[in-house]
Order: sequence, then structure tokens, then C-alpha cells
Amino acid sequence: MKRFTVACSAGLVVLAAGLAIQAQEPEVTPTDPNEASADDSGLPVADPICTFFGPDHNKWVEALSDAGAASHLTEDVVSKLAPAAKVMSSANFATAVLPSAPGGSRTDTIQNPALPTIDKYIFEKLAQQNVAPAPMTTDYEFVRRVTLDLTGRIPTPDQVLTFVNDPTSDKRARLVSQLLNTPQWVDKWTVWLADQYKNSSTNDLGANRFALGVAAFNGYLRASLQSGKPYNVMAKEMIAGTGENSYFFDQGYMNLLVGGVMGGGPIQDVFDQQTAVISEKFLGLAHVNCLLCHNGRGHLDALSLWAYYKTRNDAYGMSSFMSHTATMRIPTADAVNGNPYYWAIQNNLAAGAVVQGVRNGTNYTIDYALNTQTGNRPARGATNSTVRVRPAYIMNGAQPAAGSDYRAFLADQITSDFQFARATVNYVWEYFFGIGIVSPANQFDPARLDPDNPPADCPLPTTPCTLQASHPRLLNQLAQDFINSGYNLKELMRQITTSKAYQLSSRYEGTWNPANERLFARKLVRRLWSEEVHDAVMQSSGIPVTYTNAAWNPSTVSWAMQLPEPLAAAGAATNFLNAFLRGNRDSEPRRSDLAIGQALALMNDPFVMGRITSTAATSILVQALKLSDPEAVTMLYLNVLSRYPTTDELNAAVANLKAAANATARTQEGRNLLWSLYNKVDFVFNY
Amino acid sequence: MANFLTNKKKQRDASEEFARKYPHPHISMLQRPDYSRRGFFKLAAAGVTGSYLMPRLSAATGQVVSNGSKTLNTAKNVIFVHLTGAMSHVDTLDLKVTNGVTPSTMNPTTVNGIDWPMGLMPKLGARLSDIGLVRSMSSWALVHSLAQSWVQIARNPVAALGDIAPNVGSVVALEKEKERRASQIFPGFIALNAGNAEGQGYFKATYAPFQVTPRVAASGVANTTNALGQTVFGSMYTRLQQYDSAMRGQAPYGSSLQDMDAMYQQARGLMYSPTVDSAFTVSQADSLRYGNGTTATGFGNACVLAKQILSSDQGTRFIQINIGSWDHHQNIYAANNLPAMSAQLDNGLGALIDDLRSLGRLQDTLIVVQGEFGRTPVFTAAAGRDHYLIQSAMFIGGGVKGGKAIGATNPVGTQAGGSTVTDFGWAGSGTTGPRMVRPEDIESTLYSALGIDWTTVRYDDPFGRGFEYIPFAKVGTYGPINELFT
Repeated sequence: MKRFTVACSAGLVVLAAGLAIQAQEPEVTPTDPNEASADDSGLPVADPICTFFGPDHNKWVEALSDAGAASHLTEDVVSKLAPAAKVMSSANFATAVLPSAPGGSRTDTIQNPALPTIDKYIFEKLAQQNVAPAPMTTDYEFVRRVTLDLTGRIPTPDQVLTFVNDPTSDKRARLVSQLLNTPQWVDKWTVWLADQYKNSSTNDLGANRFALGVAAFNGYLRASLQSGKPYNVMAKEMIAGTGENSYFFDQGYMNLLVGGVMGGGPIQDVFDQQTAVISEKFLGLAHVNCLLCHNGRGHLDALSLWAYYKTRNDAYGMSSFMSHTATMRIPTADAVNGNPYYWAIQNNLAAGAVVQGVRNGTNYTIDYALNTQTGNRPARGATNSTVRVRPAYIMNGAQPAAGSDYRAFLADQITSDFQFARATVNYVWEYFFGIGIVSPANQFDPARLDPDNPPADCPLPTTPCTLQASHPRLLNQLAQDFINSGYNLKELMRQITTSKAYQLSSRYEGTWNPANERLFARKLVRRLWSEEVHDAVMQSSGIPVTYTNAAWNPSTVSWAMQLPEPLAAAGAATNFLNAFLRGNRDSEPRRSDLAIGQALALMNDPFVMGRITSTAATSILVQALKLSDPEAVTMLYLNVLSRYPTTDELNAAVANLKAAANATARTQEGRNLLWSLYNKVDFVFNY
Repeated sequence: MANFLTNKKKQRDASEEFARKYPHPHISMLQRPDYSRRGFFKLAAAGVTGSYLMPRLSAATGQVVSNGSKTLNTAKNVIFVHLTGAMSHVDTLDLKVTNGVTPSTMNPTTVNGIDWPMGLMPKLGARLSDIGLVRSMSSWALVHSLAQSWVQIARNPVAALGDIAPNVGSVVALEKEKERRASQIFPGFIALNAGNAEGQGYFKATYAPFQVTPRVAASGVANTTNALGQTVFGSMYTRLQQYDSAMRGQAPYGSSLQDMDAMYQQARGLMYSPTVDSAFTVSQADSLRYGNGTTATGFGNACVLAKQILSSDQGTRFIQINIGSWDHHQNIYAANNLPAMSAQLDNGLGALIDDLRSLGRLQDTLIVVQGEFGRTPVFTAAAGRDHYLIQSAMFIGGGVKGGKAIGATNPVGTQAGGSTVTDFGWAGSGTTGPRMVRPEDIESTLYSALGIDWTTVRYDDPFGRGFEYIPFAKVGTYGPINELFT
């Protein structure tokens, strides 16, 4: 085992600056700091992981390359640590510990040269602005980050070690492919989409999907993700679909429009709300909601140049696409759930028509009428007004034939609109990078997106006259790639997660200017979702749990990420989940804020403490304590934090375990350690 | 910044204060052996982290610019009661009796010139001499979530800084941190029954609203004891410090991780604390007295906690209590709608006023009561009231001269009573002259009463464009309603 001298000080800044210079010539593969660290020349090399492990990293390296800590780590132990891993020799184990070892435990070149879009634009702009990017992620950082981002789970020790020990150069791309094909990917992105479409059983507007409607909507989203349904097809189904029963899984798409049903006003309020949801979710145009009450001018001047020129009448035209849509309550004698009704959606339904035994009282064959004085939006016109607004797509004025399927026409207009692809890739980008290329992602200003025709006619000093996107050409290219891929969400995620930009570390050397967040010079950390924290504790502790509710489908789930909605009670873990602000998909969006209650929950909640003190045979702690002290410590670190302990961490924990006077005291030291790992700051963040 | 770094004395003062405040084993950022000049720059340059230093060092760094506005400085604490869903002002704070609409059970009564629904809110009616009303007030928006956020962050939530703007309570907590004594352990900002309260924005998590749902059956705050007992917990916590000090101290992944450390220090302070247990436990008797006499209410329990939290004097300076929903589009006068909500408010607030007074805390505690907007003076076909811009607010204690109403709306007699403002009743701000009171003016008033310069601009925001406590206040667009205090 060769000994390495790892220099932790100044090297990185130089290298990072070198990368920025290189990036001005994108056809040249940028110098990679990690390649430098794999240099076998014997010269001092810079190792980005030093910042992570601190200056003591050298000690850690030496201890393991000598007869120190490594001597405890026999092959036998290794196989226990990662039972399903391929057999590793001691040498391989040490290699796994040493991210900078020769043999290539790191792969950081761009994995798919066919998709250079992201890196071309991101690194070009960094170079233009003379901002150095963060170093690349280590393999340990990458495997944890991408596994959490794509599947919502922390990687198991087996997954970590298999990945870091893989010497091949395309292993990051292969890991992404594997993750994209897991059932966990479906779990996580079902939740993401259900958040996006606000799939809640009730909402503040008064719409009620009931638990069965939520399950049907989830089932629809899940099946769509599983089958790889193109996103434009999903959008068309949700916008234009009709159906008999919102509880039927194959008609679950109806529940998007059901969420727009609201009380306390005329039927136009429902059309407007459905239009607001569609415009925000599929076009990134939350301002349509504003326009449904008032003109843009005088209200949205400071927000959107596009909206400045749009009127309430333009928004009526959009809402008129909904005017022939009957979203009807169908009473049900649901003996199991006691639900009073489900929903049916029909087109062009005349007053008096009967659907499933229910007589429809509203005439859904007339266009949007400006005849309301009360409700949730300002008056539209005199109550005896006969003014009707023809449907017209707000982006181009296109109109359907009278009496045709209005929503089918609207769905075609939207999904063939470039803005549809642009809004979608930006929503997904915002998830992976923390900030959208257009931010906030639901407030697009279509008049400020074209880099070849930047806005020039800004009528008021308050009206924005700059391009809105931080990287307008990247946004357009991503949208085009998304279209070319057949609106394939997986391909979009593959493109993002295999990019060098995504694989930048969240560690940053040198002075960090928060303004560079929008340059994506470093990866921003995110606090794990509530469900992710729950599932990480559960997975790593070895103590599983199931939650059951007859109205869910499936009625029993084993992971928080499989709960049908954030409000779903999860037994004793409900308070724990709520502490991490999972929201309600309505008035309370999911949040990543920190709060004292989260520290209290991780320190004391029965959900965690029950797993610290468990004596079950499957408990990770019970298993670890059967091993030698260093093995036990290493096993706990790998399971909970998906990495090895540093020298200091290992030595400290081993010393504490060794000092224990008896088995009871040793068990308590083990509990101290496991508890500390759940409360370490790197547990609760995806970094 | 350079000025700060060369000022060794300031550095020492700051670290000493830090050590005083966090006496348990913790190495402050300024004392850490691995602290380096570059590392410090990295931390100080990050907007979020930088804010941690601001309360103590702002004068030296010059990063927080105050225009030196003269503040009222009449209050130490604020209780902000948020009437979510939007209370009908024309049935309550700006009562307009309409024949055939207003139920006689509301018992409209004129008290010293103020029309008041004694049938709905008798206890507040009996305490009108403590209450200053604002009736010339208008919201900016009629969407609940938008307008609710607006009143909590004092600006348009969809404007440039809307996403990162902290709750007014977080600003108060940060501003008042410099007055915190080492022995005080409560967060500066506590949110009761306000799970969806706006957060700390770009500020450190230290200033986030601490969410508490009052519990009557159980004592204290959830998860403030550990299943293994206090002694074992102590040893676990010591181990955590040992195992995680490097990561918490250096926060190589950005300031969020260091924020988490501050969060733990605060959380630890709340555990095994008799002070916490007594302040956060609602007695059965108080619960009923603040409730409806025979039954407890969520709002009443929150008021009990507010009283106890402030009287414990543990560093909490801003308490937000949400009570809702007041969104009475239909059948507003049905027993379980406006009357039930009003009774909750009346009983809780009435008892709170009395208890704060007897504790000697009413004069330094400003209570602000408002919804996100008003409701239509026109009584709808659904026997309810829809969303309306004009609204009213209540100010109590903290130097407020009660028994009067600022501003007036058009009188009763038609269904349009209360639909337009006929008298602004205040001078306006800067050079605006008399005008409608806006949410920004309410927040200016709150800041001014607390002795906080509402025109302050912090140049520590992530965009570097300057975070104004109240947008455009420095040029006089908004300002405090001083007339409430004279």
C-alpha cells in the first residue's frame, strides 16, 4: 500500500481558477481537480475532500495505509458490512476508503458527450463572469446525492461500496441509469408530481377528492411514470380527459381538474381556477391567475412584461376553454369509506342531461359568460349580460371550432407550445439545482425569454426590461432536447444528473458570493424532504415500519415516500414527519426551512429513539455491537451517513467504546454514536 | 468589512458575548482553532451567515443602514393576531348595521362614539378604552395566501425579494437579539397555532418562527425530554459535540449546515427546562377562562401561552397567533360561522388584555389584530360576504391610546356602508399626505413601537440589492400610524 501525502491547503483555488479559464474553450475537456489528485507522481496534490474531512485527513490516510485501523478491517468484516457486495480484498477495502487512490475510484469527466448542452452553457457563463466553479463531487458525495435526488433514499453501504470500487469510467452514468429504473424512482417522482398537481384529499377552495380520488390520481401518476409515458401525453390526459369516476385508477387524471372545483361563487370561478392550475403547472404562467381578476397593466407592471400587455379578457379567453366542461358530483353509497360522492367530467353537457343517474343543472354548451356580480373574483358583468367570450389560447389567439372539444384543442395548443417544454424542464431543473433557470419557476415572463430578441419596449420604469432566465439559451436548448427525447422525463433527469454542473460539489473554496447561486457555481445543499428523513432513519436503523389505511392503494405502505399525501397519518411518526414541514399540498407548500422542532424531533422523537434503543435482531446497532469497535463504528457510519468515518471520528468513537466498563456501558456508547449520527448535520442535508 | 476585521476589540466583544450566550461546550466561530482569515471571509460574505453577526456588529460593519428615523419605542414585545380567512370588518371592527341583514343578536351599541357589536364581542366591547381601531385600511390583494403572506412579510410575496423576505417576527427577533441576556433561552419569535407562518426568509434559522401548538393535556413542548432520561441524554449530547464539531464548525457545504448547529443550541436550551415546562403548560382553569367558559379553544390556549411566554421574560419578543377561518362566503351569521369565531377571539383576547394588565405587561406589549383583507359590505345571495380590499385592524397596549378609531368609511343606510373610505384619519407618511393605511404601514407602526427603525436597509441579502424592512419606507412611501399613540 503506497502512502500518499495529501496537501489540503492552497492547491484547490488554483485548480478551480484553472478550470474556469479552461472552460472558456468548451471543446477542450476541462482540467479536473480530481484527476490531479489521482496523480501518482508523488508530488503534493490537491484533494477536494480535505475540506470535508479537514486537515486530519492525512492521519486517516496514514492510519489505513499502515497497520493501524485498517488491521481491524478483515475481509470477514468487510463481507459483513456489505453482505451483498462482491467480495473485496483488504486492499480493495482500503481503496474504497481512499478516494484519491490510484485505480480510479472517481469518475468525473462528462459521461455522455452526446449531451453537452448543460455544461457548455453553465461553464461558459462562469468563465465569462470570472467565477470559479466548485470542485467536482467525490464518489461518496455523488452516490449519496444522486441516490437521494432520484430515489429519495440514502444509498446502502452495499450501493456505496460497489459504486466507489467500480473502476470503470462511465460508472456515474450507469449509476444514474440504474437509479432511474428502480421502483424508488417511481415512488419519489410520484410524490414530486403529486406535489406539483396539489393532489390533496381536500383543499381550501372546497374541492374534495376524498382519499380514493387521491389514490386514483397517485395511481395514474405512478403508472404513467412506470410505463414511461411521455409528459406531453400526461399533460393532454389531465387537461382534456373525460371520465365517469374520479376514483378509477385509469381515470385518475381527472383529479387535476377536480382540484379546481370551488364553492362560494358562480361556475366561472371553477373554470377560472381550473385554468389557473393548468396555466401554472404546464406553462409556468402563475400570472394567468392574476389576469383572471384584472388586467396586467396597473397590477403586474413590475413583474411581467408579457402580463403588462395582457388583459382580463385575454384570460377569459383561456378560461373559456373550460366553459364546456361539466365537473359533476356523482353521489355514491360507498359503504367502506362513507364518501358522499365522486366526480365525473363530461364535455358539452346540456342542462337536464343525466349522467349516472344524476341530472345536470348547468348548461355546459355555452361559452364563458360575463354575467356575475358575486363570488371569489371581481364582477364579470351585469347578471343579465348575454356577453360570451370565445375560447382563445392566450399565447397565440388560436380558436377552436364552435361546439368542438375545447379542452382537446387547448391541450394540443399547450403541448405543442415551446413554453410547455420550457416550463417543464425549468420545474425539473429547479428541483435538482434548488433554483430555476427562470426563478420562481411558476412565474415565467414569455416576453423576456428570447436571447435573440431581448425586450426593448418596456413602457414603464417599473416594467422589467431584462432577460428573465439566467441562462436563456440553455433553457431553450434543454426544452428542445426534451421535445426531441419525446418529452421523456427520465431522459431529462439523466441529462441533468450526468452533467458536470450537477456533479459540482457543494463545497466551495474561496469567497462565496451568494449572487453566484444563479450561475450554479456550486451545488446548493437541500434539507431532505420530510419523507426522506423518515425513510433514511428507517432504512439505516434496520427497524422497518408499515402504515395501513383501507382507502389507500396499496392499503399498506412501508416507506413514507409511498404515503398517498403529506397529510396522511403515519402512526407514531406523524409528528416526526410534520416537524420537517411536508406541507399539505394546498395552502402549505412543502418547505425546506430549518426549525428548532426538527432538532427536537431528531434528538427526542419516539420515531428515532425507538430505533436507538431497539433490541430487535434486525437493529443495525445490535448487529454492529457484535463486531469489534472499529468495525462497529465503520458499519454505523456507512449505514447512516453513506460514508466512512474520518480518522478523528473513528478514533473518538472507538476510544469511547473501548472505555466502556461493561456490556451495558458499551451498548450505551453504541447508542450514543448512532444517536449522534442521526443528529449530525450531514445526515439531514443532501449535500 | 475591513473596518470590522481590524477592529480587534469588537471581535473580542463579539466572541465574549457569544460565549456568554452559549455557555455549554461549544466553540464559537471566532474562537475556533481552525478559524482562518479566509474562512471568516467565506462565512461573513455569505449573506445568510453574515446576518448572524449583524446584530452585534452592525455599527462597525456599516452593512445595516438606518436612516435614523425617530421611533416611538413604546413597546418591548408584539403579539400579532392574524385573523386568517379575513374577518368581516363591517360586522365587527367597523360595524355597519343594515336593516334586514344585521342580526339583532349582534346588539349594535355605540360606546363613546364607537359602533360595536356588543352581542358578538362583549368583552372587547367592555375594553374599548384600551383599543385603537384603524378603519381607513386597505389590502393590496384578494387572494388569501398572497395577502396573508403580504401582511407577514410587509411586501408583495411575488416581488423580487418576496421569496427570501423574512417574517416581520424574524426581523424583530434578529433586531432584539442584542438585548438578549445569557440566561434567556426562548426563541425570539414564537408562532402559536400558525403552522403555515412565513419563515425566516434569508435570515439564519435562529430567527425562524418556533412553532408550538398549545397542549392542555400534556405539559410543555413536545420532544423536550428524551426517552433515555436526562442524564443519558446529556452524555449523548456531549458525544454529538465531540463527533460533529468539525462539520458544524466549518460547514464546508454552505451556511445551512451551520444554521442547523444554531438550531440545536436553541433546541437543547429548551430541553429539561422547568422554565419551558411552566411557560408552555396551559392549566385547565386558564384554558377555560380564555376559552368559552366551559370549553377550551385553540385560540384561548394560544393566548394563555402568549401571556406566560412574555411574563417569563425568556427572550421572546414576537408572538404570532393565527385564528381562522373567517372566510364566510356563505351564511356568515350562522352560529358556527362569524358568531363562533368572534366568541373565540373575544374570550381569548379579553382575558389576555386583563392578565397582561395585571402582570404589568400591557403597557409594553403591543397587540396587533388583523386579517389579510376585508369582506364585501354588500351582503351576497349566499348570505355571506366575499373578499374586499377595505378592512380594519385593532391595536392594543404597547403605548396605544385606546378608545378611538383612526379613519372612517362611508356610513350606514345603504348596503354600501363601509365600502369606501371617507376619512383617512392620519397624516400619512413622508410627503404622501393623508391616504389609505396599507399592510406596510401596519408593519412600520409595529417596528416603530418596538424602537426598530422601519426604514432600515440591510445589505446582507443574497441578491445584494438591499433588504428594506419596509419597501420604499426610506423615501417616505410608508410609515407608522403615529396617531394611534397620541
